[in-house]
Amino acid sequence: MLTFLGLTALLIKIGLVVGISQGAVAYLIYVERKIAAYAQDRIGPNRCGREFGVPLGLIQPLADGAKMILKEDVIPKYVHKPTFILAPMIAIVTATIGFAVVPFGPVGAGAPRLGADWPVQFQIAPGVDIGIVYILAIGSLAVYAVVLAGWSSNNKYSFLGGLRSSAQLISYEIPMGLSILGIVLLAKSLDLNTIIEWQDRHGWGIFWQPVGFLIFLVSAFAETNRLPFDLPESEQELVGGFHTEYSAMKFGMFFLGEYLHVITVSFLTVILFFGGWDLPFVLSADQTSWISAIFKVIVMMSKVSLMIVFIMWIRWTLPRFRYDTLMNLAWKSLLPLGLLNLTITAVAAQMILGG
Amino acid sequence: MNINDFKDVILAGAVVVAGAIGTYLLLPHRHGLTKPTAARWIGGVLGAVAIALALLFFTPPGTFLRTVFFYAFAILSLAGAGLTITSRDPVASALWFASVILATSGLFLLAGAQFLAAGTVIVYAGAIIVTFLFVIMLASKQGCALYDRSARSPAGATFTCFLLFFGLMYTLLIAKGDVSFGGLKTPFRGAITARDVTPTTFGPPNKFGTAIHVFEKAIPQTSRLAPSQVVPEAGASASGIPPKHVAGLGGALYADNLIAVEAVGVLLFVALVGAVAIAGPKPQPRPGASARRSTN
Repeated sequence: MLTFLGLTALLIKIGLVVGISQGAVAYLIYVERKIAAYAQDRIGPNRCGREFGVPLGLIQPLADGAKMILKEDVIPKYVHKPTFILAPMIAIVTATIGFAVVPFGPVGAGAPRLGADWPVQFQIAPGVDIGIVYILAIGSLAVYAVVLAGWSSNNKYSFLGGLRSSAQLISYEIPMGLSILGIVLLAKSLDLNTIIEWQDRHGWGIFWQPVGFLIFLVSAFAETNRLPFDLPESEQELVGGFHTEYSAMKFGMFFLGEYLHVITVSFLTVILFFGGWDLPFVLSADQTSWISAIFKVIVMMSKVSLMIVFIMWIRWTLPRFRYDTLMNLAWKSLLPLGLLNLTITAVAAQMILGG
Repeated sequence: MNINDFKDVILAGAVVVAGAIGTYLLLPHRHGLTKPTAARWIGGVLGAVAIALALLFFTPPGTFLRTVFFYAFAILSLAGAGLTITSRDPVASALWFASVILATSGLFLLAGAQFLAAGTVIVYAGAIIVTFLFVIMLASKQGCALYDRSARSPAGATFTCFLLFFGLMYTLLIAKGDVSFGGLKTPFRGAITARDVTPTTFGPPNKFGTAIHVFEKAIPQTSRLAPSQVVPEAGASASGIPPKHVAGLGGALYADNLIAVEAVGVLLFVALVGAVAIAGPKPQPRPGASARRSTN
């Protein structure tokens, strides 16, 4: 039963998560530009805001955002208008609502309390039993944005980008699901918070599931359209891929959606394989004070930030795959490997760890 | 015989007649010709009336928010289903189909069936309809072809579907105990309880004893058809944390219905093997093989 107070708290939480994640995206773009600059032996954005005494060009994200909003929004005459407008909306909505079940701190019994019976859960929807399946379901909807954008643009480059993307996203969903199942079998729950607590007691998932981690990481890169797998928008072949015809904030929404996906994937990697808020020998699920809760949130955010930086670093390390090698990787390498990993994990969990 | 005995049947009839005429008017022309705008307007209004009347049959669940979401999802799924079959653009049809799936999984969520909701979204919206879109986009080049804009025998299809719909509604009304015709005692009347409509109780008792009730304990009773049933507030217990659904569902699938699950698995596997056999590359005829056949 949802009381009025509970509803207000929930709305505040949603506002906080959405606001922070979207603000974080702006600065992620800045970080990405800086990392790109260092990788290419440049300096990167460092001027914006110098007049106001802000160092390092830290106002650059604001300028970028303002540019997106103030630019002329061109809708070409030959596009299929309803779907052309719908596609960026789908991109941003699917990227945002995935955060509903992502815990960003202690949840459940380990949550700190306001007064006697007001646990403060660091998650929008605490205790959703299907947690990870929900995220997969939302992720499987993200493909609509790309497919519809590519098709409605009525442009060969966009269309090819959309087709490539739909095949890629659908293919990589399967190894991604398989790689997650191993840790789910071990933790005996689909709930992300339960998985974190299991890792808190038994050790991080990457030590239990190294193969699963590898498969998950590769599939996650493919699902976010990040560089070794960014075939939907490969500049040399497809101009801009599925978003060639988009301008101003409509393009900005695709951009925002992509970075939100990066954040979600980093959260998932940390939660599934790096123990979430857990720090061995220091933090455990039994600590329920406010100080430990804040410390847990900080630990989690640091891990997620490291993961995001790692993803951006990879971008300037590996060249792009060719399309057939991409498909071969998914269906001929990752899928059998994932099945093998799942079978071994299931047998081991049943026989050695006693079911 | 009182008119009150018939009022639900009359309402059901009104829903069916309005819905059938509306759908027929909205459906594309048999030969792909354009219908007059007035016909489509009338069809749209009749369809909306049918949906509004059909909503009278529903019992809104619980609190205000749940009621709002329930009606939103119900209207979206019904209207989306209508638009799926009546829109002239195949891509729009596929998208409306996707919206029906999303609304349906929203209803599943309201009923407390989280895993079913997520599974529906993954399988239907995430895979099947995307494949539809894929094929539609690859197949239709410029504009819509004639076969996309025409409906095959719309009158027959509408009649059959709405006859079936009426049959279903009538059966549900009888099961609910609202309707009895001229001394025809329905066997369900008054005796029905929540346990009787829970599917798991139809299964034979097994030797493990408890396993058969795992499902009932884990999943809140959600069927809205039983009259004497109080629908519990799904997804909330005293602590605000919902009960463990997935474990119960797994218990139901792999303890109570193991044979069915395995049979479906085998069926899907056979289909998969068949698909690979059909789609696989054809072996190149050996040089000389066809020549030999032609000489024979």
